[in-house]
Amino acid sequence: MSFHRIILTVNGSTEQVDVPGNMTLLQMLREKLALTGTKNGCAAGECGACTVLMNGEPVNSCMVLAAECDGAEIVTVEGLAQDGQLDIVQQTIIDEGGVQCGFCTPGMLISARALLNRNPSPTEAEIREALVGNLCRCTGYARIISAVKAAAEATQ
Amino acid sequence: MINPHPGLPELDYIKPASLEEASKFLAAHAGEAKPFMGGTDCFVRLRDGAWELKYLVDVKGLDGTNTITFDSQKGLIIGAAVPMNQVISHPDIVKNYPLLSEAARTVASYQLRNRATIVGNICNASPAGDTTGACIVLGGVLNVFGPKGKRTEPLSSFFKGPGKTVLEAGDIVTSISFPLPPNGAVGRYIKLGRNMLSDLSIVGVTVLGYPDKTTKSGYRFKIALASVAPTPLVPTQAEELLAEKAISEETIMEAAQAAMDAATPIDDVRGSARYRKYMVRNLTRQALTDVWKKLTE
Amino acid sequence: MTTASIKETTNIGVSKPRVDVREKVTGAAIFTDDIQFGAGLLYARVKRSPYPHAIIKRIDTSKAKALPGVKVVVTGEDFPHRTGLYLKDRYIFARDRVRFVGEPVAGVAAISEEIAQKATDLIEVEYEVLPGVHDPVYGASPEAPLLHPDLGNYEVPNFIFPVPNTNISNHFKVRKGDVDAAWSQCAAIVEHTFRVPHVQHVPIEPHVAIAQVDGEGNITLWASSQSPFAQRNLIAKSLNMPESKIRVIAPLIGGGFGSKAGITMEAIPVAIAMKAKGHPVKFRLTREEEFFTNFVRQGLVAKIKVGCDKDGRLLAIQNEMYWDGGGYTDYGVNITRAGGYSGSGPFDCPNVKVDSMCVYTNHPVGGAYRGFGMSEVHTGIVQAMHMLSEKIGMDFAEFLKLNVVQEGDKILTGMTMHKTGIKECIDKVTQAVNWGIKEPPSAPNKRRGKGLAVMWKAPAMPPNAGSSALVKLNEDASVTVLIGGQEIGQGSFTAMAQIAAESLGVPFESVKVKGPIDTQYSPYEWQTVASRLTWSMGNAVRNAALDARKKIIDMVAEAWGEKPEDLDIKDGYVISYKTEESISLKDIVVYGIPKPDYSGWVGGPIVGSGNFMPTYVTGLDKETGQGERAVVHYTTGAQAVDLEVDLDTGQITILKAASAFDVGKAINPDLVKSQIEGGFVQGMSSAIFEEMKLVNGVMQNPSFVDYRIATTADIPKVIEAYIVEAPQDDGPWGARGVGEHPMVPTIACLANAIYDATGVRVSNPPLSAEKIYLALLDAGVVK
Repeated sequence: MSFHRIILTVNGSTEQVDVPGNMTLLQMLREKLALTGTKNGCAAGECGACTVLMNGEPVNSCMVLAAECDGAEIVTVEGLAQDGQLDIVQQTIIDEGGVQCGFCTPGMLISARALLNRNPSPTEAEIREALVGNLCRCTGYARIISAVKAAAEATQ
Repeated sequence: MINPHPGLPELDYIKPASLEEASKFLAAHAGEAKPFMGGTDCFVRLRDGAWELKYLVDVKGLDGTNTITFDSQKGLIIGAAVPMNQVISHPDIVKNYPLLSEAARTVASYQLRNRATIVGNICNASPAGDTTGACIVLGGVLNVFGPKGKRTEPLSSFFKGPGKTVLEAGDIVTSISFPLPPNGAVGRYIKLGRNMLSDLSIVGVTVLGYPDKTTKSGYRFKIALASVAPTPLVPTQAEELLAEKAISEETIMEAAQAAMDAATPIDDVRGSARYRKYMVRNLTRQALTDVWKKLTE
Repeated sequence: MTTASIKETTNIGVSKPRVDVREKVTGAAIFTDDIQFGAGLLYARVKRSPYPHAIIKRIDTSKAKALPGVKVVVTGEDFPHRTGLYLKDRYIFARDRVRFVGEPVAGVAAISEEIAQKATDLIEVEYEVLPGVHDPVYGASPEAPLLHPDLGNYEVPNFIFPVPNTNISNHFKVRKGDVDAAWSQCAAIVEHTFRVPHVQHVPIEPHVAIAQVDGEGNITLWASSQSPFAQRNLIAKSLNMPESKIRVIAPLIGGGFGSKAGITMEAIPVAIAMKAKGHPVKFRLTREEEFFTNFVRQGLVAKIKVGCDKDGRLLAIQNEMYWDGGGYTDYGVNITRAGGYSGSGPFDCPNVKVDSMCVYTNHPVGGAYRGFGMSEVHTGIVQAMHMLSEKIGMDFAEFLKLNVVQEGDKILTGMTMHKTGIKECIDKVTQAVNWGIKEPPSAPNKRRGKGLAVMWKAPAMPPNAGSSALVKLNEDASVTVLIGGQEIGQGSFTAMAQIAAESLGVPFESVKVKGPIDTQYSPYEWQTVASRLTWSMGNAVRNAALDARKKIIDMVAEAWGEKPEDLDIKDGYVISYKTEESISLKDIVVYGIPKPDYSGWVGGPIVGSGNFMPTYVTGLDKETGQGERAVVHYTTGAQAVDLEVDLDTGQITILKAASAFDVGKAINPDLVKSQIEGGFVQGMSSAIFEEMKLVNGVMQNPSFVDYRIATTADIPKVIEAYIVEAPQDDGPWGARGVGEHPMVPTIACLANAIYDATGVRVSNPPLSAEKIYLALLDAGVVK
């Protein structure tokens, strides 16, 4: 099995990594770059815990080969806050009580951030649709939906 | 017992520089290499051992696979590697082929649709494919690059069974072409899943209707059904009925019944054959009614 | 000293922000799989049985051992001792026979997960397939093959009653009054059999554990765990080692809901690590394995008969329950017991007969799941009550208020019921959904209906489950609270910080409660289960904080020459009501206070300790289930929904859901409401979507593709949570637990609403669109 040398940007910093062909972006982030904020919940593209931004768009990082990421720009949950200043969605999910165990939270925040990037004032239906690929077993979602609403309102 | 690999089994990632190179590689490694676009189906099958491959051949970015082109004379071409979200939001598609957007939007989740592709959906030949019906009723034709060069494959003869198509080793579907939609066409896709969104379809009903002077009813309706037969199903009797008889609530009900009669679903983990049959009827009626309403607005 | 005064309220009954939240939103929070172990780490994978029931004829591991990169291969031969929490009926790896699909047969550790996986494929196992048991009623019958011929010899505690030479591993009975004589006096009787399928907990974090054994044989286990101390104890028992040689470290946990309590897959890396000394050995379940190889919620068949007099007063309840325990019931036997002693539901009834039987089947192994036994029991009993109210011609809310258990009632086990706010809960939720008013549906092809359900649940635990805590003060006057209970998402760390702050007299912000829980340093806690932490651990923390407080006040009193009763601690300062002097806690809580004129010092580093253990729980008679006090307390509640059924598809849309629970006292109301909301959605998900589809013991849907849970698109438009507070006599500020309760009444609530909407009863979950539609079709409601 051959390795691929890739150069990519992760949370603004340039990384060079040698990855085997079967390594997923999720595995690379967690095992090669020690960015463990991105979680593995199913390895099948169903739960959304591993969601990251790839070139600005959210993807399930378990469904992307690391080798494909040469030249890509990746943002993980660790890259949401800037200089210790929380992203507005991070703040509103705290304020609304949308975090319990916290395992779905990183993926949920990335999906929410991506939604607000493409649609700064989403309706409730649009929020629900945008987060449908992020499973949460604790909160019952209502407070997460409110948090995205609140983040949208705060940035208007 | 399903006991899949924790990660992807050992395999190599191949990124060829051209379609020729890709096709040659795939042909030379028949049975152990597959073209790779979004990977959304492929990773799952590799993990659970349904596919045993040595190579994934990345064809994204090769010669037109990444682009959407629309020509107001010739129609639409969607590259094989174009993720569904781009199809959903593309202004030319939203304007001229809204049915494609509507159907694609029902697939899985937003983040999965950043990887999933319409062509991938078709090539996997799942009878549950949500966008396949839209591609069928809109007259989609696949553009294939194979060991013997380029050719086209109409969808009507493409599917051979669940997961089976006419494609052979070395074939790469590079895009799907659509003629201009018929004048005045209105489409509708109704998907019934277990969840309100994001699930695979228990039943999916695609309807395209448009005025047609050559039919007795003055309209032509095209229907495609998902998850109710080994391949995507076109209930021709229902279509004929709607061409022959004046459109009314009764005709629509009759056509829906004909669609139900045409369906040959199985019992599976997502739903029983009995439920699926009734849902074909009810959702076909609903989709036809929605389309009919818009046509006569 | 445990009952606190209610006068001060700056930290209690206040929705303080979560103490663990910033790390969780930034990705900094460390979960078990996030811990880095370096190059020595080995990965474990497991060879599993593909058969539900078979004799193991031969295992050949030679090819696996020969694979480069493989370090250890173990089988049942290596671990001959039986283990189990309440019934020692299983081995770490199957020895003579396998009893469920997915049962571990051999384990491998290798330098990568891939190689370990490959090695398991190379292990050859020869089986002789045996006929299986796939239904608990059949399993309990004399015709069924015996799955555990040695059941009579298994070690059990004195409150578990196996029936030797049957598949019944626990038969719990309640005999109150005379049910058989009561039927003739009933004006209405309902008899119905309810079936509840197996479901899975689905924590978003799959199970993961890493074990390491050092040269002296000391074991360290890092695990996603709800019960590090119980795990330490169980490992010690099964390996015949002292607890002190075992250390369990439990970082944050990505959801557990009971599945991460006790020992399941954690035993595997421990066993393997013993043969690979020095190496940490990591074992993580795939999502697919999570579904069927570890704990699941047991299935239940409940044959229920209930009757009332002409005025609607309950006269008799009979509940015969067959729990589908799976291949091993080491935890399941206790679920059966809990299901038994609460088997009447929250109803006052003079005649009750309960038979709760845990039955071995060749299905996945049943374990604790959020309010174990209770969702299953209430699914049947509350629907039966709804049917009975209709039969006697009474509004269901009125019927419930007439019959629910009240303070002073002798409940089914003979215990006297304490004060409870269940009627207030019913009032709150019925008001919320405009109960009694038939409202129109939103479209002609829809039917609208309302449903109501009540519940009760007691912490299901040994009588003497204990808690302890240490409260330590630091130079900067900050306070570190050490506890052994886990933050599982419910907010326990936050609630404990509030309790410590209030008890001690310091600002909430100065109190730190952090994981990981580490059995080497954290004080003992039985387990994070049973909705018991706020109540039990809360008492321990309060006692520890009061102990620290006393030490501080005594010190200052001595230094100032004042009486302790004239001193108080407020906002981080010791103040004297007599002299109006004050002194900051800074420095003095570590360095003490100098006496005047360099004549010496008083005090020293302040550490308070406290514990709590209920001492009043009594046993129950084996034949009658009667005893003075079976449990510590019952939390009660009610739920109501307003929903629509789509006649074209059978899909339901919940317009509004309202829940109310009597939590005694909400230490943090917002966190309580979060539990109530999240619990409702989990209950709704199990009610509508969830079912492990088992065909001859093989799960057909072990993935998120086909085991669907609720998503953002499925939740009700409105979810309301109400808090009722009838204080608990021995709870901190009157608090009792509510973590599990919110999902308990939901299946019955939805089934009752669907009946109200359509006139058709779909009694067995999942209440899927398909099941509803086909029931409507068969009933002629749709064509």
